[in-house]
Amino acid sequence: MIDLDIHLAAIVAGDADAFARWLAGAEQPVRLSLASFAAVVDAEAVLQEALLRVWQVAPRFVADGGANGLLRLAVRIARNLAVSELRRTRTRPVEPRDLEDHHAVRPTPSDPMLRAAIVECRDKLPAKPREAFDARTGGGGEKDDLALATALGMRLNTFLQNFARARKLLAECLHKRGILVDQELGA
Amino acid sequence: MTAEETDLLIEQVAAAHRPRATDELRYHPAWHDLDAAGRTRAYERARAVRPLEAALDPDGLSTTARAVLARIRG
Repeated sequence: MIDLDIHLAAIVAGDADAFARWLAGAEQPVRLSLASFAAVVDAEAVLQEALLRVWQVAPRFVADGGANGLLRLAVRIARNLAVSELRRTRTRPVEPRDLEDHHAVRPTPSDPMLRAAIVECRDKLPAKPREAFDARTGGGGEKDDLALATALGMRLNTFLQNFARARKLLAECLHKRGILVDQELGA
Repeated sequence: MTAEETDLLIEQVAAAHRPRATDELRYHPAWHDLDAAGRTRAYERARAVRPLEAALDPDGLSTTARAVLARIRG
């Protein structure tokens, strides 16, 4: 099993590049730990805030000797933050399962063959859907969709429709290559 | 709200961009316009799209990771 704590010493020393390498494997398992909260909190906002807090507390983190200690801490921070949001917004009562430990913590491995297939499928996208897809992917989450659409000379709805088309075409292309894709990718 | 309008809201909420937080979390504005089913679908769509973004990034980072790093690096 991958142990993302190989990056821990550098992260504790304040190395943001090491934190980026940790993030590459840690983001998806932390996101998955928020699944049960998705209907009642903005999971993306909670996730980003939790990952930021991991960076802030990492210098004080004390490893327990087990693998992926910082990832396990990240999951606890994310779920505690989601519970705090539940209490703040009173969207629904906090349930006992919200407070239980989330044990399914497994880093995401990189897959070069899958990456090559995704790149090939992306390169086959028609011009407008690809523009929208590349704008959001290349934008790194810094600009909102309206700003991205305006930069491309598109209306917001046109931009979103093009992005959705790109997503569906990518799902179709990957499916044709025998790659299992998440149902929501092609929805 | 039509199904198409709902889907466009889901597409927006599934993006990584969030307003910069100050003292409390800042939700995507469109998140509030979705019902529970729509919010769950937005989460699932983000979960499905982020691995593609990471695969296309030279450092293996999704837009979520890039957004977090942008806040760290100021």
